[in-house]
Amino acid sequence: MAEIDALDARVAALSDADLARGLALFRTKLGPAEAAWLQTCVHCGLCAESCHYYLADHEPASVPAHKLAQVAAGFRRHFTTAGRIAPALTGARPFDRDLVRAWVESAFGRCTVCGRCSLNCTTGVDIAAVMRAARGTLTEMGLIPDDLQQIVATTLATGNSMGIPRADWLDTVQWIEEETRQAVGDPAARIPVDKHGARILFTVNPREPKFFPLGLQASATVLHAAGEDWTVAGEGWDLTNYGLFNASRAEGGAIAANLLASMERLGCRTLVIGECGHGFAAARWEAAEWLQRRPGFRIISFLELMDEYFRQGRLRVDPSRVRERATLHDPCNTVRQGGIVEPQRAILRRCLADFVEMTPNRAGNFCCGGGGGQLSMSRYRDKRLQSGGVKAAQIRATGARIVVAPCHNCIDQLMELNREYKLGVVVRTVAEIVADALVPPAPATQPQGEP
Amino acid sequence: MPTLDFGGRKLEVNEDGFLIHPEDWDEELARHLARAEEGLDALTDEHWSVIRFIRGHFEETRAAPMVRSVCKATGLPLKRVYELFPSGPARGACKLAGLPKPDGCV
Repeated sequence: MAEIDALDARVAALSDADLARGLALFRTKLGPAEAAWLQTCVHCGLCAESCHYYLADHEPASVPAHKLAQVAAGFRRHFTTAGRIAPALTGARPFDRDLVRAWVESAFGRCTVCGRCSLNCTTGVDIAAVMRAARGTLTEMGLIPDDLQQIVATTLATGNSMGIPRADWLDTVQWIEEETRQAVGDPAARIPVDKHGARILFTVNPREPKFFPLGLQASATVLHAAGEDWTVAGEGWDLTNYGLFNASRAEGGAIAANLLASMERLGCRTLVIGECGHGFAAARWEAAEWLQRRPGFRIISFLELMDEYFRQGRLRVDPSRVRERATLHDPCNTVRQGGIVEPQRAILRRCLADFVEMTPNRAGNFCCGGGGGQLSMSRYRDKRLQSGGVKAAQIRATGARIVVAPCHNCIDQLMELNREYKLGVVVRTVAEIVADALVPPAPATQPQGEP
Repeated sequence: MPTLDFGGRKLEVNEDGFLIHPEDWDEELARHLARAEEGLDALTDEHWSVIRFIRGHFEETRAAPMVRSVCKATGLPLKRVYELFPSGPARGACKLAGLPKPDGCV
């Protein structure tokens, strides 16, 4: 495709001045921690089998230590004395076009920045952080796959990652509000827009209004059942932030600022990030760092909020309503990176008759293969589906017919894995499961005229 | 660069099977993509109503329509749209209508 050739052509056309500038950019991505990690790998190889890419293809280029070594080679050659004096002895290589190609292949082509290798590293190297430093450098050099950068550009230009016009967003919200009213049989059910002073600002992945609004309907159903005082925003409603994937602090910060601005404009108390892995990690953990300011309000995942409702007795469910065996996928950015591990399990144990864990799970989960922006980089599609074979095998081993995934990005990948590996499952959000299991509150009064 | 051999032409597609040049599209190609990409041997009137609406919207606005507009224009319930296109409105219906791959988590 044209874009692929464009990226390859841009690498081939790099001048010495471009490379010098790239190296200077790389320097700005390195703090003391990154500098230490780039010199700490002892090549023990234990990371190999922690990586879903390596488990799926068994190619040396997929071993996390190998990917790390590509970045470390440039670091050593240019930023360490030993590397300058004796490059051959230290694995140092000049930051030239060949090394840049290796960075693109390692950081974008064979990594979802899922962080599982870091858990298994004997010397504690945060390989994902190093991959982000490499990605950020490449992005600022203009050497990122165009389809990934396009999403960032669309978000910066339109306020959401799918370029949905305000009128279309509001039209869909109104539609889903009507659908929710009918489904719950309560004319008072609402999806408030721009309600000032609401307790909760609920945020959404644009994929929901654009193509999959049943997720939004399920969330609205749960919020209604819990009697929540909530709102969505007419503008600044998109929880996605592909700045996490292109690793540009400036762009990630600019996108995160949209949500913070909505909170300030509406004066809500808590920002709730809908079921999305990277959106949660970006808003909860990265935004303050990117923007160098502390948001003056609570930022939580919708998983935490739903769990809170259950613990407060605000939702009544009947697990016999969802009888099929179900398993849970742990999105890397929610669980391993984000620290939200048990709330979704507590919820599902209440709502499902037959809930089984896949193995490994929780922080040790395998990435679905669609993370880190892989879903949007078409040039790596075959690799993405191949690496997802690890997740497909995990799912198959559970015998589950339902895969619950609290992340829209994972859901799209899991839907593709379902077809590719003929898993015969349906993929649902946690809110969809809760909404299906809900027991409607008994009507306060008997309808008039009924026998 | 992947290509798709169709009707004696070599059409550029991306790795996800979306057309690079949306102007390459015609209804015969939609039937071919339906078989090759979605496993649909025949396209019914319901399929065509969705595909033609998406195509028309794209030609006017250069963007994929909201699934809301698809339902409104075709009169099909949302769940029916998902049944018609196993890969969903984006990777299924939009691809068959010859649109480039939509941005975002799809």
